[in-house]
Amino acid sequence: MSRRAAVAFSLLVLAVCHAGAATLQVQVKDAAGKPLADTVVYAISGAPFDARKPRAPVAVEQVDREFVPYVTVIQAGTTVTFPNRDPILHHVYSFSPAKPFEIKLYTGKSPVEVVFDKPGVVTLGCNIHDWMIGYIAVVPTPWFAKTDAAGTAIVRDLPAGAYDIHAWHPHQRGAIDPARVTFDAASSTHTAAFTIDAPPRKPKYKPPLDRLKY
Amino acid sequence: MAETPPPPPPARRRSWVTLSSLGTRLVVFFVALLVIVQGLGAFLVMQANSQIARQTIDGELEQGERVFRKQLSQNQARLEQGVAILSSDFAFRQAIASNDTGTILSVLRNHGARLGASVMTLASLANVVRADTLDEGRAGKPFAFPELLKLAEADGKASSVVIRDGKLYQLVVVPVLAPEPIAWVGPAFEVDDRVAKELNELTGLEVTFASRLGDSAWKLHASTLAAPLRASLLATLEGDSGIPARVHDVDVGGDEYETRLTRLESRPDTNIVAILQKPLAVGLAPFRRISSSFFWLTLAGLSFLVGGSLVIARSITRPVHRLAEAANRVQQGDYTKHVAVEHKDEIGQLAVSFNHMLDGIVSREREILRLAYEDGLTALPNRSMFNEQLGQAVRTARRSAHPLSVLVFDMDRFKTINDTLGHPVGDQALREVGVRVRAALRDSDVIARLGGDEFAVLLTTSGTEHAAKVVAGKILKALEEPLVIDGQSMDITASIGIAQFPEHGDDPNALMRAADVAMYEAKRTKSGFSVYDPAHDERRQEFLTLLGELRRAVEAGELVLHYQPKMNLAEGRVTAVEALVRWRHPQRGFIDPGQFIPFAEQTGYISAITRWVLGKAIEQCGVWERTGLRIRMSVNISARDLQLGDAMVQYVAAALQAAELPAGMLCLEITESALMEDPGSAQSTLRKLRDLGITTSIDDYGTGYSSLAYIKQLAVNELKIDRAFVSGMEADKRNAAIVRSTIELGHNLGLTVVAEGVETDHELAELRRFGCDSAQGFYFARPMPAAAFERWLGGIRDKPVGERSATLGEA
Repeated sequence: MSRRAAVAFSLLVLAVCHAGAATLQVQVKDAAGKPLADTVVYAISGAPFDARKPRAPVAVEQVDREFVPYVTVIQAGTTVTFPNRDPILHHVYSFSPAKPFEIKLYTGKSPVEVVFDKPGVVTLGCNIHDWMIGYIAVVPTPWFAKTDAAGTAIVRDLPAGAYDIHAWHPHQRGAIDPARVTFDAASSTHTAAFTIDAPPRKPKYKPPLDRLKY
Repeated sequence: MAETPPPPPPARRRSWVTLSSLGTRLVVFFVALLVIVQGLGAFLVMQANSQIARQTIDGELEQGERVFRKQLSQNQARLEQGVAILSSDFAFRQAIASNDTGTILSVLRNHGARLGASVMTLASLANVVRADTLDEGRAGKPFAFPELLKLAEADGKASSVVIRDGKLYQLVVVPVLAPEPIAWVGPAFEVDDRVAKELNELTGLEVTFASRLGDSAWKLHASTLAAPLRASLLATLEGDSGIPARVHDVDVGGDEYETRLTRLESRPDTNIVAILQKPLAVGLAPFRRISSSFFWLTLAGLSFLVGGSLVIARSITRPVHRLAEAANRVQQGDYTKHVAVEHKDEIGQLAVSFNHMLDGIVSREREILRLAYEDGLTALPNRSMFNEQLGQAVRTARRSAHPLSVLVFDMDRFKTINDTLGHPVGDQALREVGVRVRAALRDSDVIARLGGDEFAVLLTTSGTEHAAKVVAGKILKALEEPLVIDGQSMDITASIGIAQFPEHGDDPNALMRAADVAMYEAKRTKSGFSVYDPAHDERRQEFLTLLGELRRAVEAGELVLHYQPKMNLAEGRVTAVEALVRWRHPQRGFIDPGQFIPFAEQTGYISAITRWVLGKAIEQCGVWERTGLRIRMSVNISARDLQLGDAMVQYVAAALQAAELPAGMLCLEITESALMEDPGSAQSTLRKLRDLGITTSIDDYGTGYSSLAYIKQLAVNELKIDRAFVSGMEADKRNAAIVRSTIELGHNLGLTVVAEGVETDHELAELRRFGCDSAQGFYFARPMPAAAFERWLGGIRDKPVGERSATLGEA
């Protein structure tokens, strides 16, 4: 978590360093009007950015036989590790075209670090635990965020310019039209709202823990 | 003679098989009843049976269908599970995710083989076929069964029965999860005969899978039926319009099958059905067994009952038949044989009653015979019995040529006893006579009472004339002793007539008649007994014919009246005349009154004669009176006439009135004996006659049983002294004394006296001396017809009294 904060902070600093650090606040609601968490929000513009900037690695852990976090958003080119915090082995895989990979049965430290260089959605699964599922949204822009439980996502240090704000939710039904926001030079806060028809997560059958003790 | 009863009609031989017989009716009735009842029962049972069979088969089919469907769905579930497991194989998923068509096909084939699938299809999430193991050309085309994909999306799996290229498959659709669905994998398992067989083994039904696309012909995909039957089933399906789901009978290859159609899949253009069948014969087999058992049972029962009812019918009809036969025997006169009583049941009771009746008949018949042949009063055999026994004896005697004797007798003056002492006494007398005579005879002799006071005796053994006379003597001896009845003692005598077989007659009638004639002869001669003599017969014959002729004589005017004068001695002239009846028979000539008067008196015909005489005499007197000849007419009255009493008085008065003759001109003469037959009534009748003015006279006085006391009271005018005394005056002084004293007596009683039968001068002189008022007799005149009398009367007028004698004889 501290690393994340550090990354966020550095992004923020960068944003401040740049001229015209706008903030985008996105509110996402679901079809019923409730705040929708785990929505990936990212802004695409024509402005160039330094894609070579090093990015800190992100971890997607396996805790209590779940992928934590459920949804992770990274910029393309970011390295992701998969530490296994469970006492049991997991076999992490993905067949997504954006990044097919697999890490065969392991526990503890992630034996490999996977670089996700193609933008797209990577669906994670565990071969021996059919219910485990996670998502890594690989975005081609450094300006992204994920909505929290309140359904709010804040993207900072956006230089001025016109952006397409895209939203993506793993359970979304149907495509979501991007919103168009234009940031001027002054530091301003823009808001965008999305209503996404996304049914709640349907967890598959997960046997109780003590069963594993046989 | 008793008649033999007419012969009975020939008894019908009743064979108990005829329709009219009780036995047959019983059997027919019971059999019909049983047939109806059993038939009804059998029918109902079989009906119910077949219903149950139907229901059972239907139930079996229904159950079969349920099992079938369950099995089918279990199969599908199994397949789904298998597919799901197989499709979560990592390598499989990896291969699918590789997008390499070759790899995909190979892994599909591989895993398909693991499953035993006939075809494996992979479809994208856009419902487009990505790979198909059977038909590679399908790749890129839409998945044929998108609805299944929708179902799988909702449920996580789906399966169905589908037609693909004319074949029937079970199609399972399962998502390939990585971990989200990345594609649909759909193995298809062909439904073939093996599948049908499996289902058949489980359900016990014939399973056939068939489908129809749109309106095209039915196609049979799999079946447990043999090939020829399949064709037949197809043909039947063709014939159906629409698809009935209910059970119905289908003829497949000549056998009936209970059929149920169950829909497996139905889309607007596709109909996939499973046809479940059970041969009816198999299903019905147990019921058919029941039906046939029941049928045979019924038949057996029927035959038993027919036999049983035959036996029972016989057990009823045989005794009834025997009773009928017994009754027949009774009708023919055989009362002796009792009917055997075999059982204690109703028939037995009937037999017992029948026997009682038989006994009753026997005893009644005996009683009837007794009554018929027994005389009620004396308990001796009666006339009928005697006649029969006589007839039998005659027949026997004819054959064996031995003599028979018939004796007939009656009691003399029985009538007197009856009249004077009364009928009860008379009856007692008869009884006593019967007893005495019976005692006097042997056991083999037959004695009978013919009626009245007449008895008959038949000597069957030693029936000679001599023996008969001996028996007659015994009878008379037996009756010698006076009868004492109610303290009264009476003498009775009998007159017996004897007739012999064969001399006096060779048949019963002739014998009886002969004995009768002999009896009358005995009576007449007062000889006790008399043997038949043909001479008697003649006389008797004559006598009997005479009676008939007498009647005719009165009607035909063969009777005439002669008149005999009564000479008044004092005046010396004829003051009265007695009318006497004479019979001038056309063939026999003159018949003496002594021949027919007594008989007329006995038979009562005398009254007719008297009437005639009275009428004629009165008429004649009237005629004479009108011609100036005033002579009192005397007419004889019999005891019979006197008995008539008032009737007689009336007709005398009527006769007088008719002739317009004063009563004083008529004198009625009644004999003393006649008076004494009923003194009381005679007395009153005489009084009535005297009241009329008629003179009455006691005829033949001195020969009857009267008493002086009686004569004293009697309302008579005249006494006529019997001729016996008059004509005996000369011979016997006692007669003269009687005549004298009678005249004295008469005068003293105020009566005139007439002397009858005067024949000599001496008698006349004596009578004159005694003071007799009148005299009558041949000395003066014989009885003569009226004309002659008139002439005679004219003649003597001219002669002196003393010389007036009979000059003219009978005309």
